[in-house]
Order: sequence, then structure tokens, then C-alpha cells
Amino acid sequence: MKITICIGSSCHLKGSRQIVEELQRLVKENNLGDKIELAGQFCMVNCQNGVCVTLDGEAFSLTPDTTRAFFEKDVLPRL
Amino acid sequence: MNDLWIETGWISLNHVGETLCGDKVEIFGGGDEDLTLVLADGLGSGVKANILSTLTSKILCTMISGGIPLEECVATIASTLPVCSVRQVAYSTFTILRILDNKTAHIIQFDNPATIVLRNGDIFDYPRTTRVIAGKTIWESTFPIEENDVFIAMSDGAEWAGVGMTMNFGWTRDSIAEYAMANYLPENSAKFTAGLIIDECNRLYGGRPGDDTTIAVAHVRSRHTVNLMVGPPENKEDDERVMNLFFGKNGSKVVCGGTTSNVVSRYLHQPIETSLDYFDPEVPPICRIKGVDLTTEGVITLSKVLAYAEDFIDQAKLAPVWSTKKDGASLIARELFENATDVNFFVGRAINPAHQNPNLPINFAIKQQLITNLAECLEKMGKHIRLSYF
Repeated sequence: MKITICIGSSCHLKGSRQIVEELQRLVKENNLGDKIELAGQFCMVNCQNGVCVTLDGEAFSLTPDTTRAFFEKDVLPRL
Repeated sequence: MNDLWIETGWISLNHVGETLCGDKVEIFGGGDEDLTLVLADGLGSGVKANILSTLTSKILCTMISGGIPLEECVATIASTLPVCSVRQVAYSTFTILRILDNKTAHIIQFDNPATIVLRNGDIFDYPRTTRVIAGKTIWESTFPIEENDVFIAMSDGAEWAGVGMTMNFGWTRDSIAEYAMANYLPENSAKFTAGLIIDECNRLYGGRPGDDTTIAVAHVRSRHTVNLMVGPPENKEDDERVMNLFFGKNGSKVVCGGTTSNVVSRYLHQPIETSLDYFDPEVPPICRIKGVDLTTEGVITLSKVLAYAEDFIDQAKLAPVWSTKKDGASLIARELFENATDVNFFVGRAINPAHQNPNLPINFAIKQQLITNLAECLEKMGKHIRLSYF
């Protein structure tokens, strides 16, 4: 499974680094390093809805506060 | 004309407790033009020394670069400098470095420590002759320059660093030469080299310089053009034309901005390889596109580069940060401040609607201002700048 986080200007300012760090932590905590690949992408051309995150091609809009919920509700059940 | 470029940079430390420096550097020309650099050290410290060295450097630099014979220049100074009421002398030492036609170095020195010359990183003992003008013994040297020559002129404050504190007899010119040699890298900019030596002097002085201390550096290098693109063109149909122009240029290629990178990736038919490495938490990660030397995010990264640039033309306190780190802003700073002699900016006028949000400090006006300010800083560093808008 691949989770891609936008690291463009707008998303960076809206907290993509915190989201990346939170996801890296959650992946490690749950020992899912071999199942989940985290990647960055430059500007997903959907800046208004940032922070843009895609999960196997499906688009999500996250904030640092909703990252854990996203991981539990959308990521874990798909594994 | 050859392909050499003369880069200069200098830094002064003030005598502890003084707001004015008694040393003064005056520079005329440089780059691909004839260079005249004068470093003067006025007697004493504070206001009096500052006036003496300012007069000396300004008069010498103006007259010498105007082609007036040395005898006349020295005579003018002797009859112009005010006489010190305490010591009954009018006195300022000086070093004049000229580089003519990008071919010949001409060094004229009076009572400053002898200018250090590094050739390919080794200490180069250049020939010198003496002559007496108006009672002053003056050293003169003339020799052909080579690429990577580094000229290090200094005031005696550099030699005395550490006297009676960290050392008995100070640092001496020879140890400064060895220090410069040990820290030599061909890509070090003139200002960076000056900063390295000044920092060491300041350390030896325990942060309380007992004399005004100045290092002025001229570095002979080959020209290196950096082409930096930021923002896609205003009209989409210009994309191809602008890309052709950009990739047709000599020199390295730097692309800044997410949307811009996407346009470049389409043009080159090369994927964007991203990373999630935050070497600096404030700067978004860089990415890679085959065919581009460096690809970074836009406005946030460039804001950081501008902060580094403004610091660099002042006291260069942040130089140790960007000269070693691996984030996008540090990498751009190294390429622009150290490697570049010529910089071509390709500025796209396309407006990203998502960036026009008043809550985000990345709108179009900010970007424009950023580029203008950065270009000004680079010009002050002696780079040749060209700005093109699309």
C-alpha cells in the first residue's frame, strides 16, 4: 500500500511535515514498514483542499489533527 | 578576453568597544573588469582611525583605478591626511591589489602584513621589489594570475590575534597562510574564505578583538552560469518555448516550485522522484528530475535562501549553516553564492489561485518581491544577474 503526501508550498504551510512525521511514527508503531510505503509528491494541483494525501490513488484531505483518525479509519482496514 | 572571473569579499572585526572600524576596504571593478582593491588600516582605533583609513582607501582606489602613477597617489595621501594631535603623525597603512585584463596581478603594499597568495591551494611565494616613495618603503609585485589563485590581504589585527591571551606572540602571517591553505577548497567563495579566517581571529581574541581586524579576499575563478527557473509561464502555450530557452542555456539548471517541476517533468519526459527527508524542518524536501541539477519547492525555500543571502552580504553568520546542510535552501545557497559567477533568473508569471489565500504567506506579490531582493543581494556579491519574465 502506498500513501503519498503532497509536499508543495501550500500543503507544507498547512502542515504536511507534521503529517509525514505522524504517519512515519504510526507505521513504525504498528510494525507496518514492509506493508506501507510513504512517499512525497510535488503539488497535486489541488491546493485548496490541502493537505493533499492519496491512498492507493484515492484522494484525501488531511490536517495534522485528523491524521491519526485517517490512519485508523482508512488505512488499517484496507490492509 | 579569457573566461576568468574575479570575485571579492571582505569582513572586518571592530576593536572591542568601538562602533566604528579603523580598517577600510574599497573596491572598484572586479568580475570580468579590471579590479582595484584597497585595504587601509588607520592609526589607532575608533573615529580617528576610521577617518584616516576611509580617506586613504577612497583616494587610492579612485586615483589608482583612474590610472594615476603611484608616486602621485602617495603624495596626495601624505598631504591630505590630518595629523594626529597625540602622535604628531598622519598615518595609514595600505595594501593595493590590482588585477588587470584578467591576466596580471599587481600588488602594492605599505606596512600591512604581506598579502597571502594561494595557487591551487598551496602557498605561492611571489616576487617582490621595494622602492621608497615620499619616505615610505613600498613593496611591489607583478605576476601573471592563474585560475584558482586566492589573494588574502589583511590588516595587522589579524596577525596579532591571540597575543597575550591564547598565545604569546599572536598568530603571525605564516600561520594564517597555513590556516588558509588547510581550509582551501576551490569552490569556497571569496567572502566565505574571509569569514573562515576572521572567525578564527575572533576566536583567538576570545571574542574581544584587541585591534581592528580585516580580511579581504580576491578569488580568481572560471565563470559558472546558474539558470534558475521559478514559476510556470503566464500563458500555458509559452511553456515549450520557455523550456527550450532554459534548457538551451549553458551552465547548471535549478528549478524551484511544485507546478514548475511538473511542467519541466512533462517537457523532459522524466518522472519526478521525491523524498521525505526534512533536513531542515522549515524547508520542504527536494526532489530529483533527470536533466535538472537541483529541483526544490518554490516560495518557502527561496525565502530561506533570501535570508541566507541578506546575512551573507552582511556578517555571514549563517554561512556555516548553509555551507554544510542538505536541505533545498542550503543547496541553492551554495550553488548561487559559491559556485555562480552569472545567474539567469527565469521568472514565470503564472498565478497559482490556491496561493492567493490571504492566510498563506506565499502569494504572487511576495514571490516577485523575493526574486527582486534575491537578485539585488547576488549583485552585491558581485554576480552578474539577468532577470527574464515570462
